[in-house]
Amino acid sequence: MFKAIVDNVKGLYSLLVGLHITGRYALGPFPIWLKLKKPENGYPQLTTHYPRQTIADEDLVTFRGPVELIPAENDPTKSKCVSCMMCVKACPSNCLTVVKGDEGKAPKLWTSNFTLCSLCGTCVEVCPASALRFSHDIYWVAEKREDMINDLLAKLAKNGRN
Amino acid sequence: METILVPYTTDITLLSVLKLVVALVAIILLLIANSVVMVYLERKVAGFVQRRPGPYEVGPWGILQTVADTVKLLGKQILIPGNSDRFLFLLAPVLSMFPMFLMFLVIPYGPILTGLEVNLGLLLILAFAGMEGLAVIAGGWASNNKYSLIGAARAVSQSVAYEIPLILAILALAFQHGSLDLSVLNRAQEGWIWNWNIFTQPLAFLIFVITCFGETNRAPFDLPEGESELTGGYHTEYSGMGFALFFMAEYTSMMLVSFLAAVLFLGGSNAPVDIPLINGVWWTLIKMGAFMTFMIWVRWTFPRVRFDQLLNINWKWLLPLGLLNLWVTALVMKVVGN
Repeated sequence: MFKAIVDNVKGLYSLLVGLHITGRYALGPFPIWLKLKKPENGYPQLTTHYPRQTIADEDLVTFRGPVELIPAENDPTKSKCVSCMMCVKACPSNCLTVVKGDEGKAPKLWTSNFTLCSLCGTCVEVCPASALRFSHDIYWVAEKREDMINDLLAKLAKNGRN
Repeated sequence: METILVPYTTDITLLSVLKLVVALVAIILLLIANSVVMVYLERKVAGFVQRRPGPYEVGPWGILQTVADTVKLLGKQILIPGNSDRFLFLLAPVLSMFPMFLMFLVIPYGPILTGLEVNLGLLLILAFAGMEGLAVIAGGWASNNKYSLIGAARAVSQSVAYEIPLILAILALAFQHGSLDLSVLNRAQEGWIWNWNIFTQPLAFLIFVITCFGETNRAPFDLPEGESELTGGYHTEYSGMGFALFFMAEYTSMMLVSFLAAVLFLGGSNAPVDIPLINGVWWTLIKMGAFMTFMIWVRWTFPRVRFDQLLNINWKWLLPLGLLNLWVTALVMKVVGN
């Protein structure tokens, strides 16, 4: 009985500790006009106000977006793909389409259907030519289902133009 | 004792009817303004606590966010689920909002500013506080949905359980001041800050604060709603203005308990210093606002308790403590009072 009372008083104290923490967070950087604390000394805002602020590109390298082809060293518009079809066989969602070109090993069609892709990364792992990687583009949106079928060769060709 | 037993008589004159109508209109405006401000404040405080700016885009500092939300809710279609009790389904949101007007009539906002002078105001509020539970049960039952039904069942056991310590805490105050008239309780706390009931009845205040969260279905006791487990509980099936009315009722009951906390425990319309000249309705409003901000702060700090924990807190701690407090108060009043 005595122990239960002590535990409950301690529990009530822990509630006050929790309130203190959230109250400190709430009044850390805000409201700015109160000038309670400089943001660098207090608890700065953790979110990015997107259309006006963006995250630096080097912070996005860990983002694993839709797969893309790695450009070849000698020609950034060409892919390193050798059309071995390993990725197509490995893909558990059947979202890749690769068609081998008429001459040589280079593919003539390389699409990834992002409506099916689960971003498991198996295609990236099995690729013997290291021709695939995850993209780091967090801003990509599509308005139609058809827009989500990425023609990756066309994307590479666009790379070279700029 | 005699003041309680004398039946309250009134002459129904044109003036008294006019006063009631004016009071009701003012109360309705107050409740709507309260919901508009509270939705904004809730989201802003939630943002600050979670270290993000909260509503930001609509108007300066996002102050027009609630207006945009209201327009959106007004434009929504009211969907009635199949095989549901159509009449009860449409009645429940209205039922959750209507008793509120009556309860706000008897609250003393200032020393003489009350909608309706009754000497049993506290009893009236306690009697009608259970009506919101009834609306929740009606809505949950009529929805013909398992989530709603579980939410309604939780609301029943929760509001039944938490009403008892609430009454015990308030009854101690009634013992102390010998009245159920809220205006009398308000006047009894005049003078310096230590005359406030929070200092004469600290245990009753603690019990009152905890039961407030249980009565208004606010976090950490928001089990009837339980977004993560019951997808909204009793208002799962409601859309548009039906949902908005339930939402308004939640903020309105929050304001009601905040007014009660201000009037019963925090000195009501009395200033913390002994200068009768500056007493007035502004003190009630400041204390009410502070208590509501505290309720929001608590909501965004504590996780939701489990249902057995909720009932254990009530039956094993609040009820014995409330009885003890009542007994000690009665003893002290018997020894000191006469």
